[in-house]
Amino acid sequence: MLRPTVKELLTRLQGTVAGILIPELTSPYAQGQAMYVVAMLARAAAVYDREAAYDAAELKDLRTTLAALGRLAPKHIGRGLGDLKKAVTHGLNAAKKAPPDHRAMEAALSEFAAALALGRLDDALARVVRAHLKRHLDRTREFLGNVTPSG
Amino acid sequence: MDHPRLTEYLKRAMPQAEDLRVVALQRISGGSSRETYAFDLEWSEGGAPRTRPLIGRRDPTGGLLKTDREREFRVLEAMHRAGLRVPEPLHLELDPAVMDRPFFIMHRASGRTSGGAFPETEPAALRDKIAHQFLDELARLQALDYRALGLELLGEPKNLGDVARTQTAHWREIYDRDRMGEHYPILDAAFAWLGANPVVADRVVVVHGDYRSGNYLYDDDGMLAMLDWEMTHLGDPMEDLGWASMMFWGRGEFAAGLMEREAFYRLYEEKTGRPIDRKRLFFYQVLGNAKMATICLTGVCDFAEGRTADAQMPFLEQLLAPLCDDLALQLKLI
Repeated sequence: MLRPTVKELLTRLQGTVAGILIPELTSPYAQGQAMYVVAMLARAAAVYDREAAYDAAELKDLRTTLAALGRLAPKHIGRGLGDLKKAVTHGLNAAKKAPPDHRAMEAALSEFAAALALGRLDDALARVVRAHLKRHLDRTREFLGNVTPSG
Repeated sequence: MDHPRLTEYLKRAMPQAEDLRVVALQRISGGSSRETYAFDLEWSEGGAPRTRPLIGRRDPTGGLLKTDREREFRVLEAMHRAGLRVPEPLHLELDPAVMDRPFFIMHRASGRTSGGAFPETEPAALRDKIAHQFLDELARLQALDYRALGLELLGEPKNLGDVARTQTAHWREIYDRDRMGEHYPILDAAFAWLGANPVVADRVVVVHGDYRSGNYLYDDDGMLAMLDWEMTHLGDPMEDLGWASMMFWGRGEFAAGLMEREAFYRLYEEKTGRPIDRKRLFFYQVLGNAKMATICLTGVCDFAEGRTADAQMPFLEQLLAPLCDDLALQLKLI
């Protein structure tokens, strides 16, 4: 293994900025910027090896959700919902590509999320979309943290 | 801002001033949509020594918002003329040759700000006093005759039904520009909902556009000045109330960190003499969350694509989670 590892590097550089650079800075603005750099290095150290797992989980969930919507489509996507029929077809085709077209899959799911907000989905479709959005939010919150302006 | 160039500019702008000096020029954080500098100006006039604390606000290379500094300056002038608690605007320079990018100079009000919600550590009596002043000031803002103040330049809506649609379209356009090709299903859903459920304003007022805790200066005696007028426009009075009372800015049930939410609404009704339309308030709280998420995406996009090196910008990505959580609950998406 090559040392320092990326995680060690990101962690130790926080010490360099906090312990060596910040005490030498006289401008409060520059000190503030340096503190943001420390915070971002800390975040990068904490999540850099989880980013691929986050993306993989998102992709897997999108694939599963679109497949479920595809199975429901014939019975539950009726007249007046032609845009959703197209969206699910596009999403499923995007999932079959190698590598899968993540953005196109997200775009398809987003159309269903918008349809949910507008009350255009029946209960069966709404259940699938709501469950996906909940898992998506849980994963995102876990990955990004739950930060608010007041900390 | 460059010290010698700023000094030369102010000498030209204040020909009556003798021995003019710019002292303690330093960049400060806050007002993150523009580069903000604090300094003291010392000069003599008619033999008498004078001094004044000032702020310089210069257009950034990138960042949270792309707004017109002349518009912000004219709004500040109008608000100052109307007697609202704002820093006095003094000089506007649009020629980028003077200081690389347009800028303006205004009085530097004293006092402190909170990052977001009003701090829990402050005394309850001060919090209560500021809650009243916060809503007094909002009521005064909403009672202004914008035509009499020459603020038609902010763009008069064609009709009352146009107000919500214009704001939705404005933020949707920015969202589509700055999402870097990514899809955020909750934000896509929110903009779809906003587009399909426009509310009709009961009147058109001056909307601050970022009226919240964290955007005013205060001291131990109360609120001193409302800041950050760069998003000011003409719109629905529920817009500022909805923005100020978003869960995002407050702790739990405390609107703006100042007052229990329902008491806050009752006090607003008392101060303005007008009942709150809950349907419109809800619409503007949804729009507020979508707008704030979009502002975060603009900062992240400008950092990711190299238009700004401000290290605060990537931090904004982390604010997307609570904003999307709030939107999902509001629109029953989970």
